Amino acid sequence: MLNVEKVEKSFLPRRVLREVSLSVDSEIRVIIGLNGGGKSTLLKIIAGIWPADSGKVFIDGKNVTGLSPEDREIGYVPQHPALFRHLSVKENICYALKNGRGAVEEGDRLIALLGLRDILDKKPDVLSGGYQSRVSLARALASRPKVMLFDEPLSDLDLAIKEKLLPEFKRVLKAQGMPVLYVTHDPREAGLVGDSFSALVQGEISEINSAEEAFDLIKADYDSA
Amino acid sequence: MNKLNKNIVAVLFTPLFLLLIVYPLVALLVRLEWDGVANTFADTFFWLSVRNTLCAALLAALLSLVLAVGFGYCYLFLKHTAIYKVANLMNDLPIALPHTVAGLTLLLAFGRKTCGFLGETGLAFTLLAVVLAMFFVSYPLAARTVASGMDKMETEIIDVARTLGDTPFKAYFRVVVPTLGEALFSGFVLAFSRSLSEFAAVVMFGGNLPGSTQVLASYVFTKVEEGELEMAVTASCFCVLLSLLIVATLSLRRRVWHAER
Repeated sequence: MLNVEKVEKSFLPRRVLREVSLSVDSEIRVIIGLNGGGKSTLLKIIAGIWPADSGKVFIDGKNVTGLSPEDREIGYVPQHPALFRHLSVKENICYALKNGRGAVEEGDRLIALLGLRDILDKKPDVLSGGYQSRVSLARALASRPKVMLFDEPLSDLDLAIKEKLLPEFKRVLKAQGMPVLYVTHDPREAGLVGDSFSALVQGEISEINSAEEAFDLIKADYDSA
Repeated sequence: MNKLNKNIVAVLFTPLFLLLIVYPLVALLVRLEWDGVANTFADTFFWLSVRNTLCAALLAALLSLVLAVGFGYCYLFLKHTAIYKVANLMNDLPIALPHTVAGLTLLLAFGRKTCGFLGETGLAFTLLAVVLAMFFVSYPLAARTVASGMDKMETEIIDVARTLGDTPFKAYFRVVVPTLGEALFSGFVLAFSRSLSEFAAVVMFGGNLPGSTQVLASYVFTKVEEGELEMAVTASCFCVLLSLLIVATLSLRRRVWHAER
Protein backbone atom coordinates (compact mmCIF):
# COMPACT_ATOMS: atom_id res chain seq x y z
CA MET A 1 0.00 0.00 0.00
CA LEU A 2 1.26 3.48 -0.90
CA ASN A 3 0.24 6.48 1.19
CA VAL A 4 1.16 10.07 0.43
CA GLU A 5 0.34 12.60 3.14
CA LYS A 6 0.13 16.34 2.56
CA VAL A 7 3.12 16.57 0.23
CA GLU A 8 4.13 20.09 -0.73
CA LYS A 9 6.69 21.21 -3.29
CA SER A 10 7.57 24.62 -4.65
CA PHE A 11 9.95 25.68 -7.36
CA LEU A 12 9.91 29.33 -6.39
CA PRO A 13 7.88 31.31 -7.07
CA ARG A 14 5.54 28.49 -8.17
CA ARG A 15 3.83 26.05 -5.81
CA VAL A 16 3.82 22.84 -7.81
CA LEU A 17 2.18 20.52 -5.27
CA ARG A 18 -0.27 21.72 -2.58
CA GLU A 19 -0.91 19.33 0.28
CA VAL A 20 -1.19 16.33 -2.03
CA SER A 21 -2.52 13.24 -0.25
CA LEU A 22 -3.47 9.93 -1.78
CA SER A 23 -3.67 6.21 -1.01
CA VAL A 24 -3.09 3.47 -3.54
CA ASP A 25 -3.88 -0.15 -2.70
CA SER A 26 -3.39 -3.10 -5.07
CA GLU A 27 -4.72 -1.19 -8.04
CA ILE A 28 -3.57 0.93 -10.95
CA ARG A 29 -4.24 4.55 -10.03
CA VAL A 30 -3.84 6.99 -12.88
CA ILE A 31 -3.12 10.65 -12.20
CA ILE A 32 -4.11 12.85 -15.10
CA GLY A 33 -2.84 16.40 -15.46
CA LEU A 34 -1.45 18.90 -17.89
CA ASN A 35 2.20 18.80 -18.92
CA GLY A 36 4.22 20.73 -16.37
CA GLY A 37 1.45 20.33 -13.80
CA GLY A 38 3.55 18.55 -11.15
CA LYS A 39 2.82 14.89 -11.99
CA SER A 40 6.47 13.96 -12.54
CA THR A 41 7.48 15.97 -9.47
CA LEU A 42 5.08 13.93 -7.34
CA LEU A 43 6.50 10.64 -8.67
CA LYS A 44 10.10 11.80 -8.10
CA ILE A 45 9.21 12.73 -4.52
CA ILE A 46 7.60 9.32 -3.93
CA ALA A 47 10.66 7.61 -5.47
CA GLY A 48 13.00 9.68 -3.27
CA ILE A 49 14.75 11.30 -6.24
CA TRP A 50 13.67 14.78 -5.11
CA PRO A 51 12.87 15.83 -1.54
CA ALA A 52 9.47 17.26 -0.67
CA ASP A 53 9.26 20.63 1.09
CA SER A 54 6.91 18.99 3.58
CA GLY A 55 4.67 15.93 3.87
CA LYS A 56 5.27 12.21 4.22
CA VAL A 57 5.42 9.08 2.08
CA PHE A 58 4.54 5.63 3.48
CA ILE A 59 5.08 2.28 1.77
CA ASP A 60 3.36 -0.69 3.40
CA GLY A 61 2.92 1.43 6.51
CA LYS A 62 6.63 2.32 6.78
CA ASN A 63 7.59 5.98 6.69
CA VAL A 64 10.13 6.23 3.83
CA THR A 65 10.19 10.05 3.64
CA GLY A 66 13.83 10.39 4.65
CA LEU A 67 15.10 7.34 2.73
CA SER A 68 17.18 7.39 -0.46
CA PRO A 69 15.71 5.93 -3.67
CA GLU A 70 17.83 2.76 -3.28
CA ASP A 71 16.23 2.05 0.10
CA ARG A 72 12.58 2.52 -0.89
CA GLU A 73 12.02 -0.67 -2.96
CA ILE A 74 10.23 1.21 -5.68
CA GLY A 75 9.99 0.37 -9.37
CA TYR A 76 10.29 3.46 -11.56
CA VAL A 77 9.59 3.64 -15.28
CA PRO A 78 10.41 7.15 -16.56
CA GLN A 79 9.14 9.05 -19.56
CA HIS A 80 11.88 7.76 -21.84
CA PRO A 81 12.78 4.08 -21.38
CA ALA A 82 16.20 5.13 -19.98
CA LEU A 83 17.73 1.75 -20.76
CA PHE A 84 21.42 1.24 -20.02
CA ARG A 85 22.86 1.40 -23.53
CA HIS A 86 26.09 -0.43 -22.73
CA LEU A 87 24.21 -3.48 -21.40
CA SER A 88 22.22 -6.14 -23.25
CA VAL A 89 18.47 -6.54 -22.74
CA LYS A 90 19.07 -9.47 -20.38
CA GLU A 91 21.62 -7.47 -18.36
CA ASN A 92 19.21 -4.55 -18.17
CA ILE A 93 16.42 -6.76 -16.85
CA CYS A 94 18.69 -8.47 -14.31
CA TYR A 95 20.38 -5.20 -13.25
CA ALA A 96 18.94 -5.14 -9.72
CA LEU A 97 20.17 -8.69 -8.99
CA LYS A 98 23.67 -7.35 -8.26
CA ASN A 99 22.11 -5.22 -5.54
CA GLY A 100 20.42 -8.25 -4.01
CA ARG A 101 17.01 -7.32 -5.42
CA GLY A 102 14.62 -9.69 -7.20
CA ALA A 103 15.43 -13.20 -8.41
CA VAL A 104 16.56 -14.86 -11.64
CA GLU A 105 13.23 -16.74 -11.86
CA GLU A 106 11.33 -13.46 -11.63
CA GLY A 107 13.36 -12.07 -14.53
CA ASP A 108 12.73 -15.23 -16.60
CA ARG A 109 9.02 -15.09 -15.87
CA LEU A 110 8.81 -11.46 -17.02
CA ILE A 111 10.88 -12.19 -20.12
CA ALA A 112 8.35 -14.87 -21.08
CA LEU A 113 5.36 -12.74 -20.08
CA LEU A 114 6.48 -9.75 -22.17
CA GLY A 115 7.77 -11.77 -25.15
CA LEU A 116 11.40 -10.67 -24.83
CA ARG A 117 13.12 -14.05 -25.27
CA ASP A 118 14.33 -13.40 -28.85
CA ILE A 119 16.01 -10.07 -28.09
CA LEU A 120 17.83 -10.89 -24.86
CA ASP A 121 21.34 -10.50 -26.32
CA LYS A 122 20.57 -7.30 -28.21
CA LYS A 123 21.64 -3.82 -27.14
CA PRO A 124 18.80 -1.33 -26.43
CA ASP A 125 19.76 1.02 -29.28
CA VAL A 126 18.68 -1.50 -31.92
CA LEU A 127 15.23 -2.08 -30.39
CA SER A 128 11.97 -0.46 -31.48
CA GLY A 129 10.27 1.98 -29.10
CA GLY A 130 7.69 -0.64 -28.12
CA TYR A 131 10.32 -3.21 -27.17
CA GLN A 132 12.33 -0.58 -25.27
CA SER A 133 9.23 0.19 -23.18
CA ARG A 134 8.66 -3.52 -22.51
CA VAL A 135 12.29 -3.94 -21.37
CA SER A 136 11.98 -0.87 -19.14
CA LEU A 137 8.86 -2.37 -17.52
CA ALA A 138 10.50 -5.80 -17.11
CA ARG A 139 13.62 -4.23 -15.55
CA ALA A 140 11.58 -2.34 -12.95
CA LEU A 141 9.36 -5.34 -12.11
CA ALA A 142 12.27 -7.80 -11.93
CA SER A 143 13.56 -5.97 -8.84
CA ARG A 144 10.36 -7.06 -7.03
CA PRO A 145 9.37 -3.57 -5.91
CA LYS A 146 6.64 -2.88 -3.39
CA VAL A 147 5.23 -0.02 -5.47
CA MET A 148 5.43 0.77 -9.20
CA LEU A 149 5.63 4.32 -10.55
CA PHE A 150 5.08 5.16 -14.23
CA ASP A 151 5.92 8.62 -15.56
CA GLU A 152 4.19 8.77 -18.96
CA PRO A 153 6.18 5.73 -20.05
CA LEU A 154 4.69 5.52 -23.54
CA SER A 155 4.72 9.21 -24.46
CA ASP A 156 7.36 8.62 -27.16
CA LEU A 157 5.25 6.01 -28.95
CA ASP A 158 2.64 6.22 -31.71
CA LEU A 159 -1.02 5.85 -30.74
CA ALA A 160 -1.33 2.46 -32.49
CA ILE A 161 1.59 0.99 -30.53
CA LYS A 162 0.29 2.54 -27.30
CA GLU A 163 -3.09 0.89 -27.77
CA LYS A 164 -1.40 -2.46 -28.29
CA LEU A 165 0.98 -2.09 -25.34
CA LEU A 166 -1.33 -0.64 -22.68
CA PRO A 167 -3.59 -3.72 -22.25
CA GLU A 168 -0.39 -5.82 -22.14
CA PHE A 169 1.08 -3.55 -19.44
CA LYS A 170 -2.20 -3.72 -17.50
CA ARG A 171 -2.27 -7.54 -17.68
CA VAL A 172 1.32 -7.80 -16.41
CA LEU A 173 0.78 -5.23 -13.64
CA LYS A 174 -2.48 -6.82 -12.45
CA ALA A 175 -0.65 -10.15 -12.21
CA GLN A 176 1.82 -8.54 -9.75
CA GLY A 177 -0.98 -7.32 -7.45
CA MET A 178 0.88 -4.27 -6.18
CA PRO A 179 0.06 -0.55 -5.89
CA VAL A 180 0.74 1.18 -9.20
CA LEU A 181 0.78 4.93 -9.76
CA TYR A 182 0.65 5.88 -13.43
CA VAL A 183 0.76 9.51 -14.54
CA THR A 184 -0.23 10.79 -17.95
CA HIS A 185 -1.67 13.86 -19.65
CA ASP A 186 -3.71 11.68 -22.01
CA PRO A 187 -7.21 10.71 -20.71
CA ARG A 188 -7.52 8.04 -23.41
CA GLU A 189 -4.29 6.35 -22.25
CA ALA A 190 -5.53 6.67 -18.68
CA GLY A 191 -8.81 4.93 -19.56
CA LEU A 192 -6.95 2.01 -21.15
CA VAL A 193 -4.66 1.28 -18.22
CA GLY A 194 -6.30 2.58 -15.02
CA ASP A 195 -8.54 1.06 -12.35
CA SER A 196 -9.07 4.36 -10.54
CA PHE A 197 -8.37 7.96 -11.44
CA SER A 198 -7.25 11.26 -9.95
CA ALA A 199 -6.73 14.65 -11.51
CA LEU A 200 -3.86 16.96 -10.63
CA VAL A 201 -4.94 20.52 -11.30
CA GLN A 202 -3.17 23.64 -9.99
CA GLY A 203 -1.06 21.43 -7.73
CA GLU A 204 -4.11 19.95 -6.00
CA ILE A 205 -5.23 16.39 -6.37
CA SER A 206 -8.86 15.33 -6.61
CA GLU A 207 -10.41 11.89 -6.92
CA ILE A 208 -12.58 11.38 -9.97
CA ASN A 209 -14.68 8.53 -11.34
CA SER A 210 -13.42 8.36 -14.91
CA ALA A 211 -10.65 9.57 -17.17
CA GLU A 212 -13.16 11.71 -19.07
CA GLU A 213 -14.00 13.59 -15.90
CA ALA A 214 -10.33 14.57 -15.62
CA PHE A 215 -10.47 15.94 -19.13
CA ASP A 216 -13.41 18.21 -18.13
CA LEU A 217 -11.58 19.42 -15.00
CA ILE A 218 -8.36 20.15 -16.88
CA LYS A 219 -10.24 21.86 -19.71
CA ALA A 220 -12.12 24.08 -17.25
CA ASP A 221 -8.82 25.00 -15.56
CA TYR A 222 -7.17 25.71 -18.92
CA ASP A 223 -10.12 27.87 -20.05
CA SER A 224 -10.07 29.88 -16.81
CA ALA A 225 -6.30 30.50 -17.01
CA MET B 1 21.42 38.57 -50.17
CA ASN B 2 22.32 35.17 -48.79
CA LYS B 3 24.75 34.59 -51.62
CA LEU B 4 26.33 37.99 -50.98
CA ASN B 5 26.73 37.18 -47.28
CA LYS B 6 28.35 33.85 -48.14
CA ASN B 7 30.74 35.61 -50.50
CA ILE B 8 31.70 38.22 -47.90
CA VAL B 9 32.47 35.47 -45.36
CA ALA B 10 34.50 33.56 -47.94
CA VAL B 11 36.36 36.69 -49.02
CA LEU B 12 37.24 37.60 -45.43
CA PHE B 13 37.87 34.13 -44.08
CA THR B 14 39.84 32.44 -46.85
CA PRO B 15 42.80 34.82 -47.15
CA LEU B 16 43.13 35.22 -43.37
CA PHE B 17 42.98 31.46 -42.85
CA LEU B 18 45.54 30.86 -45.59
CA LEU B 19 47.85 33.61 -44.34
CA LEU B 20 47.71 32.94 -40.61
CA ILE B 21 47.25 29.17 -40.36
CA VAL B 22 48.27 27.44 -43.58
CA TYR B 23 51.17 29.68 -44.62
CA PRO B 24 53.21 29.30 -41.35
CA LEU B 25 52.89 25.51 -41.61
CA VAL B 26 53.96 25.58 -45.25
CA ALA B 27 56.87 27.89 -44.32
CA LEU B 28 58.01 25.26 -41.84
CA LEU B 29 57.59 22.29 -44.18
CA VAL B 30 59.48 23.89 -47.10
CA ARG B 31 62.50 24.45 -44.84
CA LEU B 32 62.81 20.71 -44.24
CA GLU B 33 66.23 19.50 -45.47
CA TRP B 34 67.57 15.97 -45.78
CA ASP B 35 70.74 16.89 -43.86
CA GLY B 36 68.63 18.18 -41.02
CA VAL B 37 66.50 15.03 -41.04
CA ALA B 38 69.59 12.80 -41.00
CA ASN B 39 71.29 14.79 -38.21
CA THR B 40 68.17 14.91 -36.08
CA PHE B 41 67.32 11.22 -36.48
CA ALA B 42 70.93 10.37 -35.58
CA ASP B 43 70.72 12.49 -32.42
CA THR B 44 70.04 10.30 -29.36
CA PHE B 45 68.69 13.29 -27.44
CA PHE B 46 66.00 13.76 -30.10
CA TRP B 47 64.71 10.22 -29.62
CA LEU B 48 64.96 10.57 -25.85
CA SER B 49 62.88 13.76 -26.06
CA VAL B 50 60.32 11.89 -28.20
CA ARG B 51 60.20 9.12 -25.59
CA ASN B 52 59.90 11.63 -22.74
CA THR B 53 57.14 13.55 -24.55
CA LEU B 54 55.06 10.48 -25.36
CA CYS B 55 55.48 8.81 -21.94
CA ALA B 56 54.85 12.00 -19.94
CA ALA B 57 51.90 13.06 -22.12
CA LEU B 58 50.35 9.60 -21.84
CA LEU B 59 50.68 9.58 -18.05
CA ALA B 60 49.42 13.18 -17.79
CA ALA B 61 46.41 12.37 -20.00
CA LEU B 62 45.59 9.25 -17.95
CA LEU B 63 45.87 11.22 -14.71
CA SER B 64 43.69 13.96 -16.23
CA LEU B 65 41.08 11.38 -17.17
CA VAL B 66 41.04 9.86 -13.68
CA LEU B 67 40.55 13.28 -12.11
CA ALA B 68 38.00 14.28 -14.75
CA VAL B 69 35.96 11.18 -13.85
CA GLY B 70 36.17 12.31 -10.21
CA PHE B 71 35.08 15.80 -11.20
CA GLY B 72 32.18 14.26 -13.14
CA TYR B 73 30.92 12.65 -9.94
CA CYS B 74 30.95 16.05 -8.18
CA TYR B 75 29.26 17.58 -11.23
CA LEU B 76 26.37 15.12 -10.97
CA PHE B 77 25.96 14.44 -7.28
CA LEU B 78 27.76 17.16 -5.30
CA LYS B 79 26.80 20.29 -7.22
CA HIS B 80 25.86 22.24 -4.09
CA THR B 81 29.08 21.50 -2.21
CA ALA B 82 32.07 23.78 -1.80
CA ILE B 83 34.43 21.21 -3.34
CA TYR B 84 32.43 21.21 -6.59
CA LYS B 85 32.29 25.01 -6.72
CA VAL B 86 36.05 25.32 -6.18
CA ALA B 87 36.80 22.50 -8.66
CA ASN B 88 34.54 24.11 -11.26
CA LEU B 89 36.28 27.47 -10.84
CA MET B 90 39.71 25.82 -11.02
CA ASN B 91 38.76 24.17 -14.30
CA ASP B 92 38.93 27.53 -15.97
CA LEU B 93 41.94 28.88 -14.12
CA PRO B 94 44.77 26.91 -15.78
CA ILE B 95 43.38 27.88 -19.19
CA ALA B 96 43.58 31.60 -18.42
CA LEU B 97 46.81 31.40 -16.42
CA PRO B 98 50.12 32.08 -18.25
CA HIS B 99 51.85 28.72 -18.36
CA THR B 100 55.05 30.18 -16.96
CA VAL B 101 53.00 31.06 -13.88
CA ALA B 102 51.63 27.52 -13.79
CA GLY B 103 55.19 26.20 -13.90
CA LEU B 104 56.27 28.56 -11.13
CA THR B 105 53.35 27.56 -8.87
CA LEU B 106 54.29 23.89 -9.31
CA LEU B 107 57.93 24.69 -8.64
CA LEU B 108 57.02 26.47 -5.41
CA ALA B 109 54.58 23.74 -4.37
CA PHE B 110 56.73 20.69 -5.10
CA GLY B 111 60.25 22.12 -5.34
CA ARG B 112 63.29 21.94 -3.08
CA LYS B 113 61.85 24.00 -0.20
CA THR B 114 58.63 22.03 0.25
CA CYS B 115 59.59 18.57 -1.03
CA GLY B 116 63.34 18.62 -0.34
CA PHE B 117 63.02 15.32 1.55
CA LEU B 118 62.27 13.61 -1.80
CA GLY B 119 65.63 14.61 -3.30
CA GLU B 120 67.99 17.50 -3.85
CA THR B 121 65.47 19.44 -5.97
CA GLY B 122 62.26 17.99 -4.55
CA LEU B 123 60.06 16.83 -7.41
CA ALA B 124 61.35 19.59 -9.68
CA PHE B 125 63.52 18.79 -12.71
CA THR B 126 62.44 15.15 -12.85
CA LEU B 127 60.29 13.32 -15.39
CA LEU B 128 57.52 13.25 -12.79
CA ALA B 129 57.65 17.06 -12.74
CA VAL B 130 57.18 17.02 -16.53
CA VAL B 131 54.12 14.78 -16.08
CA LEU B 132 52.68 17.06 -13.38
CA ALA B 133 53.26 20.19 -15.46
CA MET B 134 51.54 18.61 -18.47
CA PHE B 135 48.71 17.40 -16.24
CA PHE B 136 48.21 20.85 -14.70
CA VAL B 137 47.49 22.43 -18.08
CA SER B 138 45.61 19.54 -19.68
CA TYR B 139 43.27 18.41 -16.90
CA PRO B 140 40.75 21.27 -17.41
CA LEU B 141 40.20 20.14 -21.00
CA ALA B 142 39.46 16.57 -19.91
CA ALA B 143 37.15 17.73 -17.09
CA ARG B 144 35.22 20.07 -19.36
CA THR B 145 34.82 17.37 -22.01
CA VAL B 146 33.51 14.85 -19.47
CA ALA B 147 31.09 17.44 -18.04
CA SER B 148 29.79 18.33 -21.49
CA GLY B 149 29.30 14.59 -22.20
CA MET B 150 27.17 14.43 -19.04
CA ASP B 151 25.07 17.36 -20.21
CA LYS B 152 24.15 15.36 -23.30
CA MET B 153 23.42 12.21 -21.28
CA GLU B 154 19.89 11.10 -20.36
CA THR B 155 19.97 11.75 -16.59
CA GLU B 156 16.95 9.48 -16.03
CA ILE B 157 19.31 6.50 -16.23
CA ILE B 158 20.70 7.61 -12.86
CA ASP B 159 17.22 7.85 -11.31
CA VAL B 160 16.38 4.38 -12.59
CA ALA B 161 19.66 2.87 -11.38
CA ARG B 162 19.04 4.37 -7.93
CA THR B 163 15.54 2.87 -7.70
CA LEU B 164 17.10 -0.46 -8.71
CA GLY B 165 19.26 -0.32 -5.59
CA ASP B 166 22.39 1.58 -6.66
CA THR B 167 23.98 4.14 -4.36
CA PRO B 168 25.11 7.32 -6.20
CA PHE B 169 28.67 5.90 -6.28
CA LYS B 170 27.53 2.58 -7.77
CA ALA B 171 25.21 4.26 -10.28
CA TYR B 172 28.06 6.50 -11.40
CA PHE B 173 30.48 3.67 -12.11
CA ARG B 174 27.96 1.06 -13.31
CA VAL B 175 25.84 3.30 -15.51
CA VAL B 176 27.21 6.81 -16.07
CA VAL B 177 30.90 6.16 -16.78
CA PRO B 178 30.25 3.30 -19.27
CA THR B 179 27.74 5.52 -21.08
CA LEU B 180 30.32 8.28 -21.47
CA GLY B 181 32.67 6.35 -23.76
CA GLU B 182 32.87 9.02 -26.45
CA ALA B 183 33.36 11.91 -23.98
CA LEU B 184 36.03 9.98 -22.07
CA PHE B 185 37.89 9.18 -25.27
CA SER B 186 37.70 12.81 -26.48
CA GLY B 187 38.80 14.04 -23.04
CA PHE B 188 41.78 11.70 -23.10
CA VAL B 189 42.85 12.66 -26.63
CA LEU B 190 42.47 16.39 -25.93
CA ALA B 191 44.47 16.11 -22.70
CA PHE B 192 47.12 14.04 -24.52
CA SER B 193 47.43 16.56 -27.36
CA ARG B 194 47.55 19.50 -24.96
CA SER B 195 50.28 17.73 -22.98
CA LEU B 196 52.32 17.07 -26.13
CA SER B 197 52.36 20.76 -26.97
CA GLU B 198 53.17 22.12 -23.50
CA PHE B 199 56.43 24.04 -23.21
CA ALA B 200 56.48 26.85 -20.62
CA ALA B 201 55.15 24.96 -17.59
CA VAL B 202 57.32 21.94 -18.44
CA VAL B 203 60.51 24.00 -18.73
CA MET B 204 59.78 25.98 -15.53
CA PHE B 205 59.06 22.93 -13.38
CA GLY B 206 60.62 20.00 -15.22
CA GLY B 207 63.57 21.83 -16.72
CA ASN B 208 65.16 21.20 -20.09
CA LEU B 209 67.81 18.58 -19.36
CA PRO B 210 68.72 16.72 -22.60
CA GLY B 211 68.05 13.01 -22.26
CA SER B 212 66.42 13.46 -18.88
CA THR B 213 63.52 15.94 -18.81
CA GLN B 214 63.78 17.40 -22.30
CA VAL B 215 60.60 17.05 -24.35
CA LEU B 216 60.02 17.70 -28.06
CA ALA B 217 58.88 21.29 -27.50
CA SER B 218 61.97 22.13 -25.45
CA TYR B 219 64.23 20.21 -27.89
CA VAL B 220 63.02 22.52 -30.69
CA PHE B 221 63.69 25.55 -28.47
CA THR B 222 67.21 24.32 -27.62
CA LYS B 223 68.07 23.67 -31.26
CA VAL B 224 66.92 27.17 -32.26
CA GLU B 225 69.04 28.64 -29.44
CA GLU B 226 72.05 26.60 -30.58
CA GLY B 227 71.59 27.81 -34.16
CA GLU B 228 70.81 24.28 -35.45
CA LEU B 229 67.77 25.52 -37.36
CA GLU B 230 67.55 22.54 -39.74
CA MET B 231 67.33 20.18 -36.74
CA ALA B 232 64.71 22.40 -35.09
CA VAL B 233 62.70 22.32 -38.35
CA THR B 234 62.89 18.51 -38.51
CA ALA B 235 61.75 18.14 -34.89
CA SER B 236 58.96 20.65 -35.53
CA CYS B 237 57.77 18.76 -38.62
CA PHE B 238 57.78 15.61 -36.48
CA CYS B 239 55.51 17.45 -33.99
CA VAL B 240 53.16 18.54 -36.78
CA LEU B 241 52.96 14.94 -38.02
CA LEU B 242 52.23 13.69 -34.51
CA SER B 243 49.50 16.29 -34.03
CA LEU B 244 47.89 15.42 -37.36
CA LEU B 245 47.93 11.76 -36.37
CA ILE B 246 46.08 12.57 -33.13
CA VAL B 247 43.51 14.75 -34.85
CA ALA B 248 42.94 12.04 -37.48
CA THR B 249 42.52 9.37 -34.78
CA LEU B 250 39.98 11.50 -32.94
CA SER B 251 38.01 12.21 -36.08
CA LEU B 252 38.09 8.55 -37.20
CA ARG B 253 36.95 7.30 -33.79
CA ARG B 254 34.10 9.82 -33.74
CA ARG B 255 32.95 8.64 -37.15
CA VAL B 256 32.99 5.02 -35.98
CA TRP B 257 30.97 6.02 -32.89
CA HIS B 258 28.37 7.84 -34.96
CA ALA B 259 28.18 4.96 -37.45
CA GLU B 260 27.56 2.52 -34.59
CA ARG B 261 24.56 4.56 -33.40
